[in-house]
Amino acid sequence: MSEPTVSGESAANGSVPAPALSVRNLSTVFESPQRTVHAVRDVSFDMRPTERLGVVGESGSGKSALALSILGLIEPPGRVVGGEIMLGGRDISKLSDRSLGAVRGKDIALVLQDPMSALDPVKTIGYQVIEAIAAHEGELRRSAARKRAAELLGEVDIPQAERRLDDYPHQYSGGMRQRVAIAMAIAHNPSVLIADEPTTALDVTTQSQVLALLDRLVEQHGTAVILITHNLGIVSDFCDAVAVMYAGRFVETSGVDHIFLSPTHPYSEALLKCVPNPERLAEGPLPAITGFPPDLAQLPTGCSFQPRCPVGKDIPECQGQTPQPHTVEGPSGAASVECHFADQRIGQVKV
Amino acid sequence: MGAVIARRIVGSIGAIFGATVLAFIIMRALPGNPARLIVGPLATPHAVASVRHEIGLDKPIFTQYWLYISHFFEGNWGYSYADGKSVSSLIGERLGATIELALFSFAITMLCAVVFALLVTYRRRPIADRILRGVAYLGFGTPPFFVALILLIVFFKSLHWLPGPEGRLGLQANPPPTVTHLYTIDALIAGKFGTFWSSIEHLILPGIALGLSSFSFIVRLLRANLLEISREPFLTVARGKGLRRWTAFRRHALPNAFLPTLTAGGLVLGEFLAGSVLIERVFNWPGIGSLVFDAIVKQDYAVVQTFILLAAVMFVLVNLIVDLLYAVIDPRVRIPVVATA
Repeated sequence: MSEPTVSGESAANGSVPAPALSVRNLSTVFESPQRTVHAVRDVSFDMRPTERLGVVGESGSGKSALALSILGLIEPPGRVVGGEIMLGGRDISKLSDRSLGAVRGKDIALVLQDPMSALDPVKTIGYQVIEAIAAHEGELRRSAARKRAAELLGEVDIPQAERRLDDYPHQYSGGMRQRVAIAMAIAHNPSVLIADEPTTALDVTTQSQVLALLDRLVEQHGTAVILITHNLGIVSDFCDAVAVMYAGRFVETSGVDHIFLSPTHPYSEALLKCVPNPERLAEGPLPAITGFPPDLAQLPTGCSFQPRCPVGKDIPECQGQTPQPHTVEGPSGAASVECHFADQRIGQVKV
Repeated sequence: MGAVIARRIVGSIGAIFGATVLAFIIMRALPGNPARLIVGPLATPHAVASVRHEIGLDKPIFTQYWLYISHFFEGNWGYSYADGKSVSSLIGERLGATIELALFSFAITMLCAVVFALLVTYRRRPIADRILRGVAYLGFGTPPFFVALILLIVFFKSLHWLPGPEGRLGLQANPPPTVTHLYTIDALIAGKFGTFWSSIEHLILPGIALGLSSFSFIVRLLRANLLEISREPFLTVARGKGLRRWTAFRRHALPNAFLPTLTAGGLVLGEFLAGSVLIERVFNWPGIGSLVFDAIVKQDYAVVQTFILLAAVMFVLVNLIVDLLYAVIDPRVRIPVVATA
C-alpha cells in the first residue's frame, strides 16, 4: 500500500496481485427530516491480500460507519449514497441484501468492539458459532457442525472447546468472548476481515493476546484486515498501512512508517502528539487537539479540519477549497494527503 | 435449574400464604357481624350465638385460620349465606366463563401486540407507528367499561356485525355438553360448529374491551424492547455472519425482547383470570367478577374469602409459570456465572 489511492486496475498486471478489496468514493449519510449527517465522505482505498490497514481517528469520525458501509449493514435512517466496493473483482455495493448475505461472513467478515454485547446472551456459544458455520453450508449435520465449531474454538485457544460449546456468553470472560467473535468471523476463511476496535473493551494483557491471535490467524489464512482503532500503539504493532480518518474522510493514507516518522496532515501530526511518550514527560502536560470535531451535519466549507488547524486556521485557501488527495513522497515512503500544504509539510514534521 | 424451580415454588407458597393471612384478617376486621347477617335483624341473641358457633367464629383465631385454609385446599369452601348454595358450585358455574373470556382476551391481546410491534419495528412503518402510539395512548387511558359501551354501539347497534350483551351464547342457544367448562372447546368436542362460532362471536367484543388497555401497555413495552434490542451489536454480528435480516431478528432480537413482555403478560393474564366486574356487567357475562361483586354487597363472606384465595392462587400460579419460562429462555437466570480462565 505504498500508493494507497491509485486505481485498482492492477489486476491485468501479473506482477501486482489483484486487490483483495478496493473501495472507491464511498459515501454514507444518516438522514432525518431535520438534518443529514455525512458520516463517510468519498473514501477510496485498496487493500492487497494479507495487508493490514489501520483506520484511526477520533470518536465520531465515521470509522464504524465505514465498516458497516463496506458490509452493506448500514440501517435506516442511514444509507450508502455512492461509491463502489470491489471485493475479489466484484462490486458488492450494488448487490441485493440477499446476495450480500452470501458474501458476508464468507468473503468478508466482521469483529465488533464490545465482546460483552457482540454475543446473544440467551443463546449458547455453540449455537452462535454453528450459526456462523451453517450460514454458508448448504446442509450440515449437527455432529459435523459441533465438531467444526469445537475446532474453531480450539483455533482461537478456548480450552476444552468441545465441552464449553454448551456454555452461555455470561460464563465466558471478556477475552474469551472476543476470541469467540474472532472464531465466528474466520469460520469461512474470509479474504477480508473488518475488526472494529476489537481490543478497546479489553484489559491490556488480554488485548495483546487477542492481537497476537488475530495476527497468527490472518497470517495463516492470508486474510486482509481492516483494523479500526483509536490506539496508535496497536496500529504500529499490527498494521502495514494507516488511514487517518477525520470528519468522514481519509485525510492521510500511507504506509505505517510514514505516519509515525513524518506525519504530513496537521491532524495526523496533532493525533500523534497526543500519544503519551515517556521521553517527553518533562515537556509538561500532554497536548490536546483544541476545539471539537465538526458537526457532520454542518460541515465547514473548505477543509473540515481548518477550524482546528494550527497551519490553515486563517488561510483563505483552506477555508474556501476542499483539499483533494495529494500524493507526496517522503523520507519514509509515499502518502496520500488531503491538505493544501502537503507538499510543503512532507518530511518537515517531527514528532 | 432445579434450584431455581425450588426457589420459585417456595416463593409462590410464601405469596399464597401471605394472601390467605390478608384475606382472613380483612374479612374479620370488616364491620358487621356475619352471624347476625345470616340470621337477620330480628333473631334472638341465642340464635346469633348458635350460628356463630356453627360457622366457627367462637373458636380461637388460629384455629379459625387453620380451618379456613385447610377447608380451602380440601375444596370445602362453605355455603353462600345469601342463597344457601355451596360456594364451590357457585364459583364452579362462573369460573369457566371467566377463564374462557380471560384466555380469549389474553390470546388476542398478545397476538395483536406482537404483530403490531413487529410491524412498526422490524417492518419500520413510521405512519403505522404514529397511529399505534396514538391508539395505545388512548387505549391505556380509556376505562374498559367505556370501551365496552362504544364497541357495543358501533359493532352491535349500528353495524349489526356482532352479537350484543347476551352472555356467552345467544339467548335461545343451548350450551354444549360440559367437558372443560369452556364453551368453545366443548362445542368443538361435541362437533357443534354453529355453537362454536356463536361462542367465538360472543367473545370478541368483551375480549377486546377487556384486553385493550393491556394491549396498549404490552405493545408499547414490546415495541420499546424490540427497538432497543435491534440496536444491539449481536444483531449486527448475526447479520455479519450472512444471516438474512428476518432470520437474525427472529433468532436473536425476539427472544431477548420477549423477556420483559413475558413478565408483563403474566401479570395481565393473572388480572384477567380474576374477572372484571364492569366488563361482565356490560356484556351480561356470567363470570366470577359479577358473582363476587354481589357477594361483597351482601357481605357474603364465604364467597368473598374463597374468591380472594382463589384469585391469589391463580395469580401466583400464572407468575410461577412465567418465572419458570423465564428461566428456560434466559440462561442467565438458571446458570450462575462460573469463574473462567
